[in-house]
Amino acid sequence: MNGSQIGVLLASLCAMAAANAQSMFRGDATHSGRYAGPAPRQFHRVKWKFPTGDRVMSSPVFKDNVIYFGGDDGNVYAVDPETGRQIWKRATNGPVPATPAIVDGTLYVGSYDGKFYALDARTGALKWKVATEGERRFEAKGLHGLQPKNQTIADPFDVFLSSPVVVNGSVYFGSGDGNLYALDSATGDLHWKFKTGDVVHASPAVADGVLFFGSWDSYFYAVDATTGKEKWRFHAGEDPLIHNQVGFQSSPAVVNGVVYTGCRDANLYALDAATGKEKWRFNTELSWVITSPAVADGKVFFATSDSSLYHVVDANSGKPVVRQQGKAYMFSSPAIVGDVAFIGVLNGTLEARDVKTGELLWDYQVETSKQNKGWVLTADRKFNIPFLYHSNWREAPIVANDQQIRIGGVFSSPLVVNGVVYFGSADGFLYALE
Amino acid sequence: MTVPGALQRLLAIVVFAAALPCRGEEAISGRWEGTTHIPDDDLNVIVDLAQENGAWVGSIIIPGLDVKGVPLTDITVKASAVNFSVKGTLGIQLKLQLDGSGKLTGNFEQAGNRALTTFQKTGPPQVEYPPRNTPVAKELEGEWKGDYQMFGYTRHVSIKFTNRGPEGAAAEFVIVGRRTNNLPVDLVTQEGDLLSVDSHEIGISFEGRLRDGKLSGAIRQGAIETPLVLERAK
Repeated sequence: MNGSQIGVLLASLCAMAAANAQSMFRGDATHSGRYAGPAPRQFHRVKWKFPTGDRVMSSPVFKDNVIYFGGDDGNVYAVDPETGRQIWKRATNGPVPATPAIVDGTLYVGSYDGKFYALDARTGALKWKVATEGERRFEAKGLHGLQPKNQTIADPFDVFLSSPVVVNGSVYFGSGDGNLYALDSATGDLHWKFKTGDVVHASPAVADGVLFFGSWDSYFYAVDATTGKEKWRFHAGEDPLIHNQVGFQSSPAVVNGVVYTGCRDANLYALDAATGKEKWRFNTELSWVITSPAVADGKVFFATSDSSLYHVVDANSGKPVVRQQGKAYMFSSPAIVGDVAFIGVLNGTLEARDVKTGELLWDYQVETSKQNKGWVLTADRKFNIPFLYHSNWREAPIVANDQQIRIGGVFSSPLVVNGVVYFGSADGFLYALE
Repeated sequence: MTVPGALQRLLAIVVFAAALPCRGEEAISGRWEGTTHIPDDDLNVIVDLAQENGAWVGSIIIPGLDVKGVPLTDITVKASAVNFSVKGTLGIQLKLQLDGSGKLTGNFEQAGNRALTTFQKTGPPQVEYPPRNTPVAKELEGEWKGDYQMFGYTRHVSIKFTNRGPEGAAAEFVIVGRRTNNLPVDLVTQEGDLLSVDSHEIGISFEGRLRDGKLSGAIRQGAIETPLVLERAK
């Protein structure tokens, strides 16, 4: 074997490893959000779309030629990536807006029924399930300025559940009960649980034996993955007035000893993974950073909610590199595949952007978004806010939020396998585009 | 045809033609109730149109959008065509035609979206008028300044009152945070010693009383109410 043959073999092995790193949320336990190519720079057609009974907020993952995802209809699905035909489905007793992790033939995922499931990835058969202390959404009095201000209101934007990571025989996930759980991946036995002050719906990242995650209690934690002992905590912003600018909904990425995470306090943070010391912060002027950042080639990719901006910043300094105005809120975490960044938009669109410039290469609008029921969108696909949120009293904003989601918002983080883009939509379909 | 006969006919035509717009205008004046067919939803819309001193005035009610008695602007009535707008964040435009059956039909436009709408007259007009600015006490005239905290940083407020005779008082309302925001004030009132300044478009208001030379009260944005004390600017 000559040098060039060795090079080809190494490249193939790297590509295989990267292709395999699609079996949990954000690719692997470090959550870089970077995947192997190729990526389509042009849209040709809808390969298939797979219907479910409710919105699909979960992100699809890929393992051994099967696509897996959770549905808010309470099912976990296994689908053939080529044909879009269902291989199996497994019912839980609540919505599954979490992304499953597939390791060693087992699928791990939590449900709003307050249980955490381990299923046979081949058949969907139950291996074990464990009850947490119960799921719930983040809630507060007068949340987001909704009225009456003394009423406790569950956050309608708390749309995801924590997606598990599996490392060295342990499965880790957060819960609405405020705990971060570490279970034995084979048996479901509790190794330890770590109590925070509020809901943990972000997904933990694991690097060098340390677990990194944020909680809605305004703290970001680093915990020893083996013992569950706290190594450090970082205090982000608080909002005692309306509880709007507080909490970690974004899941972190850990790359080269730095933890990158978005926060609802309108910052993207870069923290030293060893000490928790802040390296830099990028302020987004009151706009949430719900997206989990992707990190590739020394840059951090993320997007904002209200200001609807797509950002690329330098990973070392936090200095802006690219800033593109989007049309609507982005909660979907960007997937960097080769020279294309894919991101979902809450107006019911999937966008493909050039990695270098951030310019839009193509987009795909789901059918319910085109129908624009109830004029949720303006004619140019922005949210029609004064029409939707005409009252902040009682159920009016909650109803508006539901209408907004049902336009077919793409909360799901896209997955690209063999040039096909897979993503879920709140219109109830999983899409495959090529 | 005799000359007097022709003159009589000409006179009759002139009188009839002159009467036409009046009859059209009479036909358009009234309370109109209708439905706007937006996708997957029907909006009930009530419009009141009337003529006052030769000018058209009107207001609109849309129960599904929390719109009650909001004034119509840019009202034009030409023959059977009726157009008007609703200013503010909603930014609605209606372009209607009076048809032979006495219905007003046309388009309801908002944010670039357009839907068919049909109105039927249900009675005489009940136009609502927006509350008017009142004068403020002489000692309140001039500029007032103060600070408040929200979302972890300080905002500087300046309100400048000017009495304008019969039009009541006007106010310049500026909040400086990370940016300078000149708020469009649409209502200044003083009832007893309670002073109110409202920017309905932005959803911010100040309410306070003069106490010991200071304007003490609260600034309100939606559900958020924060104490604010304004002192006379130096």
